Amino acid sequence: MSSLSATLQDIFNEPGCAKNANKSDVERKKGCTKQPQPGAAAGGCAFDGAKIALQPFTDVAHLIHGPIACEGNSWDNRGAASSGASIWRTSFTTDMTETDVVFGGEKRLYNAIKEIIGKYKPAAVFVYQTCVPAMIGDDIDIVCKAASRKFRKPVIPINAPGFVGSKNLGNKLAGEALLEHVIGTEEPDYTTPYDINMIGEYNLSGELWQIKPLLDELGIRILSCISGDGRYHEVASSHRARAAMLVCSKSMINVARRMEERYCIPFFEGSFYGIQDSSASLREIAQLLVRRGAPEELIGRTEAVIAREEARAWAAIRQYKPRFAGKRALLITGGVKSWSVVAALQEAGLELVGTSVKKSTEEDKERIKELMGLDAHMIEDISAREMYKMLKDARADIMLSGGKSQFVALKAAMPWLDINQERSHAYLGYVGIVKLVEEIDKALFNPIWEQLRQPAPWDTVCKNTHSDPMGQAAESASHPTPAERARRSKRICFCKRVDLGTLEDAIRSHGLTTVREIRQKTNASGGCGACKSRIRHILASSRESSAPAVLDAAE
Amino acid sequence: MAQNAERVLDHFELFRGPEYQQMLENKKKMFENPRDPAEVERIREWTKTREYRDKNFAREALTINPAKACQPLGAVFASVGFEGTLPFVHGSQGCVAYYRSHLSRHFKEPTSCVSSSMTEDAAVFGGLNNMIDGLANSYNMYKPKMIAVSTTCMAEVIGDDLNAFIKTSKEKGSVPADLDVPFAHTPAFVGSHVTGYDNAIKGILEHFWDGKAGTAPKLERKPNDKVNFIGGFDGYAVGNLREIKRIFEVMGIQYTVLADNADVFDTPTDGEFRMYDGGTSLEDAANAIHAKATISMQQWCTEKTLPFIAEHGQEVVSFNYPLGVSATDEFLMALSRITGKEIPDELARERGRLVDAIADSNAHIHGKKFAIYGDPDVCHGLAAFLLELGAEPTHVLSTNGNKAWQEKMEALFASSPFGQNCHAYPGRDLWHLRSLLFTEPVDFLIGNTYGKYLERDTGTPLIRIGFPVFDRHHHHRSPVWGYQGGLNVLIKILDKIFDEFDKNANIPGKTDYSFDIIR
Repeated sequence: MSSLSATLQDIFNEPGCAKNANKSDVERKKGCTKQPQPGAAAGGCAFDGAKIALQPFTDVAHLIHGPIACEGNSWDNRGAASSGASIWRTSFTTDMTETDVVFGGEKRLYNAIKEIIGKYKPAAVFVYQTCVPAMIGDDIDIVCKAASRKFRKPVIPINAPGFVGSKNLGNKLAGEALLEHVIGTEEPDYTTPYDINMIGEYNLSGELWQIKPLLDELGIRILSCISGDGRYHEVASSHRARAAMLVCSKSMINVARRMEERYCIPFFEGSFYGIQDSSASLREIAQLLVRRGAPEELIGRTEAVIAREEARAWAAIRQYKPRFAGKRALLITGGVKSWSVVAALQEAGLELVGTSVKKSTEEDKERIKELMGLDAHMIEDISAREMYKMLKDARADIMLSGGKSQFVALKAAMPWLDINQERSHAYLGYVGIVKLVEEIDKALFNPIWEQLRQPAPWDTVCKNTHSDPMGQAAESASHPTPAERARRSKRICFCKRVDLGTLEDAIRSHGLTTVREIRQKTNASGGCGACKSRIRHILASSRESSAPAVLDAAE
Repeated sequence: MAQNAERVLDHFELFRGPEYQQMLENKKKMFENPRDPAEVERIREWTKTREYRDKNFAREALTINPAKACQPLGAVFASVGFEGTLPFVHGSQGCVAYYRSHLSRHFKEPTSCVSSSMTEDAAVFGGLNNMIDGLANSYNMYKPKMIAVSTTCMAEVIGDDLNAFIKTSKEKGSVPADLDVPFAHTPAFVGSHVTGYDNAIKGILEHFWDGKAGTAPKLERKPNDKVNFIGGFDGYAVGNLREIKRIFEVMGIQYTVLADNADVFDTPTDGEFRMYDGGTSLEDAANAIHAKATISMQQWCTEKTLPFIAEHGQEVVSFNYPLGVSATDEFLMALSRITGKEIPDELARERGRLVDAIADSNAHIHGKKFAIYGDPDVCHGLAAFLLELGAEPTHVLSTNGNKAWQEKMEALFASSPFGQNCHAYPGRDLWHLRSLLFTEPVDFLIGNTYGKYLERDTGTPLIRIGFPVFDRHHHHRSPVWGYQGGLNVLIKILDKIFDEFDKNANIPGKTDYSFDIIR
């Protein structure tokens, strides 16, 4: 059993993490996440990160060992949906008191575990370490081991007391606990060549269920989802999966990589946010499974499902495109969602004026650049005040973010849509993107925003909060080249890395009129093919631009 | 036996006992000519169809479950809003008992009101003697400062002349000659309670301003800077009038609230019975003639009063029960324009808070469909607020609404993209609304307590806003006007929406994956 500090070093050395791999030894030693700055408002702690990562295991009793602070303010705050067991939503804590702090809380913890098992018979008990018992030296590993032996029930120590670092570090420590104590400890009832793991998917608002019917239809079984709507037995036997999809790379990359190392389960990093990503992920799952020995025909069936679902989703989204014309969105969120949501919103015809990359890896940032072009406004770390200013300046039409930044958006008189865990709608998969677009539409066109942006009607002094549009236009006219360069550098085909300028030049100089001709000349749309609609759009707009203009350019 | 002296059950439990169940079943079988349940079910389903709706809307003579009350109810409501005033309804006493119970059940306060207790002889020979005796008795027993007379149908059918009767009564000495006894003819077969409110206010102002039925010189208007305020018939009078007075005070406006019944419908319990409490002083009612302007919150509650006031040389402004941000803006700006007073920062901050609250929660209301029924102005105010929230007031029905109301509603619908599929139904009743709710379902219903039958039949959740609300207590004590009031309405609507979320997600292990702590 490794000590907490050894585990931390392991995580900091995570070779699967691109950000980490680029660091010097000294930098790596400092840890993979920025230490919170004293005096600045900051996000959650490692304990919170560990808890939210594991809480969606629904048949597990989650016991928080510590004073009431840790559990009292946070219980049942995760909108992950369960298809059955509900014990995960019951709040268990040792509620340590002064006496426990003086004499130690191990006995109390042991008795708490005993009482949970006696009263509820959960599939397992996860015991979360917090700051106070960690500081006074309560050894939860030993207590869990003893309880496990005594009650013949998995009792798993989750060693991520708040003070060790950030929420994200806590996610990873949770993963470490699964690797060390859970995964590979049981065997599945049966296996199929179509068994996969989903890693870092939390079934928020039941979003996993928007994808599951498609997997069911293809005969693909989610052997274990870590951890959304998960069961203890499933994750304990997840080492028998044939392939894995890593959904949130930030929180669980260590799990995916170590499972590949230990059990030869290949994984890919994918997302079900947006049409392109959903299709790519389904393809990738099918390909991985076939590579691991599943019958070849799976690929054909997958393509058929993709074609059907894409057609449906596009048809639904197309109705919104005219309404979204010229609308701009600002995305402030963490984790995997930034680049995958960028792709989704672009599909809906929204222009992205900026996205936060606080929790994104270097790889994530590269993807964002691909999607948004070189002019991508990436925001590293942002205080509420800065965010407010950005909203005012960027003059976006809507902000998509987590609940915490909601109020900043509102004070800046911007429509806002929740895309983090407290949202009440599921945005995953082909159905989910349609739902997201529907919600954006609602948020954009709610009549209250007019009220919000205008001063009270009796205010005779009109406070013009917007910057002068004439001034802006003049500025951009005086520097035509960077703006044009940025426009032309917008990536259209991501697979084959073809940008807008290349396509426009090809269309002009060769007089191309179809997507097929474009693919022959430029290789664009030769990959996943999801950019076809964008290319059609470019073709259409180049037809619209007058003939003399084409001649001018050709000359 | 289900109950005995040691264990007394209330009606919720008692009749579920086996002996009562047996008894009820036998009674049904033996005496109630029972029909085949399948046939009953078939008819029930048929009443939900478009075909039935067409027949229902073709109804000419019958009104089923009306959403209106009669004129004298409105007259009584207005009269108690004047200092020491006893409403006296000339007609049969049964009607008067209804007004008292109707108002008391809503406001949870006693309602003082007497009648001339006309009987069959009075109906044949005229009610003069009842008026003479009635005025004398009520004056001696209840010591009012003013007796405000209105009528029931019975007196109207035989054509009793109130003006002459009151004069004769005074001549006969039943009340002192200088006692103020204004009157209004308020037959129930014309209009509704909003008409009665209008007639009563007009009758009282006429009395004071135009020479007290020929017994005093007419008042001469000497314009001052005051503003008169008329709330109209309003189930939220207690909270609303207090909120309006607060607004006047923070703006520094000198005002007279006419028919100020906020206190009489909300007397404190401290060991003293207040038959009369608060109210517009009689002096203020008389001096209201000098005011700069009169503001009515409900156009259809003051259709006769406002022209009467305008004739006396004042500016008159009417609203349609302003609710929410824009409507309150308009109201305040009108106040500001009339009085030249600025809208203070305090109100601007309240406005900002309401806008903030709407912005926080708009996603849950946006796009939801509502049916509304109630008094014409209340319907207009609610519909306008819903449009402001991005909701669709799909069916708006007012039994006492008329053609002009319908046109005004349609203009409102046309002004918003959310009003495109909305319709106004004047003169229709709750049985019509039932058909509408079945054939064109909506998400929520807004109306008074009687809407609970529609809620049960159609499964459309009811948000209780209106008059009367009998089965929920004390809501009338909170305002719905002003920005604060808008917040209260918003909360009422949101509470129901979230209750529905929870209700639809509470089966353990089946739907409770959405039984969330955070909404």
